[in-house]
Amino acid sequence: MQWWCSASGKPWTWEPQFYPGVWLLAAILAVTFHRLSQRGRAMGESRLAFWGGWTAVGLVWQVLDWPLGPLAAGYLASAHAVQFVVLALLAPPLLLLAARRPLAAGLPARGAARGVVQFVTQPLIAGVLFNLVAIATHVPVVVDTLMPTQVGAFVIDVAWLVGGLILWWPIVVPEPVRPWFSVPVRMLYLFLSTLVHTGIAMVMLVRDFPMYGIYELAPPWSAWSPLEDQHLAGGVMELAGAVVIFGIITVMFFRWSGGSSGEVPPSAPPRD
Amino acid sequence: MAVEPALPRPNFTLTDTRGAAFEFGKETRGLLTFLFFGYTNCPDVCPVQVANVAAVLHTLPFEDQRKARFVFVTADPARDTLPALRKWLDQFDASFIGLRGDDAEVMRIMSAIGMPPAIRSAPGADGRYEVGHPATVIVFTADDSAHVLYPFGTRQSDWADDIPRLLKVRPLPGN
Repeated sequence: MQWWCSASGKPWTWEPQFYPGVWLLAAILAVTFHRLSQRGRAMGESRLAFWGGWTAVGLVWQVLDWPLGPLAAGYLASAHAVQFVVLALLAPPLLLLAARRPLAAGLPARGAARGVVQFVTQPLIAGVLFNLVAIATHVPVVVDTLMPTQVGAFVIDVAWLVGGLILWWPIVVPEPVRPWFSVPVRMLYLFLSTLVHTGIAMVMLVRDFPMYGIYELAPPWSAWSPLEDQHLAGGVMELAGAVVIFGIITVMFFRWSGGSSGEVPPSAPPRD
Repeated sequence: MAVEPALPRPNFTLTDTRGAAFEFGKETRGLLTFLFFGYTNCPDVCPVQVANVAAVLHTLPFEDQRKARFVFVTADPARDTLPALRKWLDQFDASFIGLRGDDAEVMRIMSAIGMPPAIRSAPGADGRYEVGHPATVIVFTADDSAHVLYPFGTRQSDWADDIPRLLKVRPLPGN
């Protein structure tokens, strides 16, 4: 039995497939989010953030499960781009927004866990990590090697989600406190951190031939040629990514210019 | 995949999609010719191989496109009628040539070229069947020989590298 979607090289079938690994990950995410969001609600987090988080849980599950999961794994680069946008750019801020208060309150004042979080969520480190993940998971030889295996496809999907959480943590979660990381700096951080995936999308848009063998040599799924599908993938990454990033930057800007940072006060005094 | 010694361009006659006799050796002599045995109901290899060659041929200058022919011989004449063959090939390129003959004739041609025979699977409950066939594109250059075979897995970028070089092969004296 297949536990995770991977490129099989077999012709597409509309017969639904069950992927236990996807359901397990979705269940772990749902349970973890439920606990955090309940605490978040008790700490005053808004209903909008709460439901936004649950929407993110549902989106993560849907993009990983049948039919989008297997389509993205072995048939359509454009479906894979949708996965990237959801897993790395859209779901993480929604999840963190609903859970930011309990995450901040639950962060120990000192110790190894705090040290790791403090290091990884330093904006420079977080931005570099996210972009390294984005680059590595779009290199053709990496994609063509990993996607035909369940473990490899799992690694790429989870790397996007974890990379996204790391990228968005310094923006959304008020701990560790970094006084220098003001709203204008955050907007700049967000803009700079997403330039790399914009560049990857541009490469996909301008290439004359398909970049990824798994999609080029896959049994045809639609009338789209592999190159048209790749251009669509580049467009999805470019456009959907821009809508998410600049949408959030715009909200941050107006809240900041209106005198509200949208932040919650930190729960513990330690600083960088 | 290099062919040593080079494979000479074969002579055979089958029916093209207009219903006319097509003499392969005569009609393609001196031209860059892609020869592929497949079937239009193929779910994976055939559409990918044909689409990849077509995609790269479309990027060539018109003069080079005129020097190339793609010939698709059906390994499933029972289902691949001439109109079905034409309709399927037109998805990729209206200039691609579709040929059909009876099973025995196509088998003989494949054998003469050194290709394994096409094998029909047992029909399923719905009567559908698949045809096992060579996934290789045989490319004859202007010297009327095939020096290279292209197995399934050949990427468009590989074709884009090779086709201009294949077009540079000079014809044999007298052609």
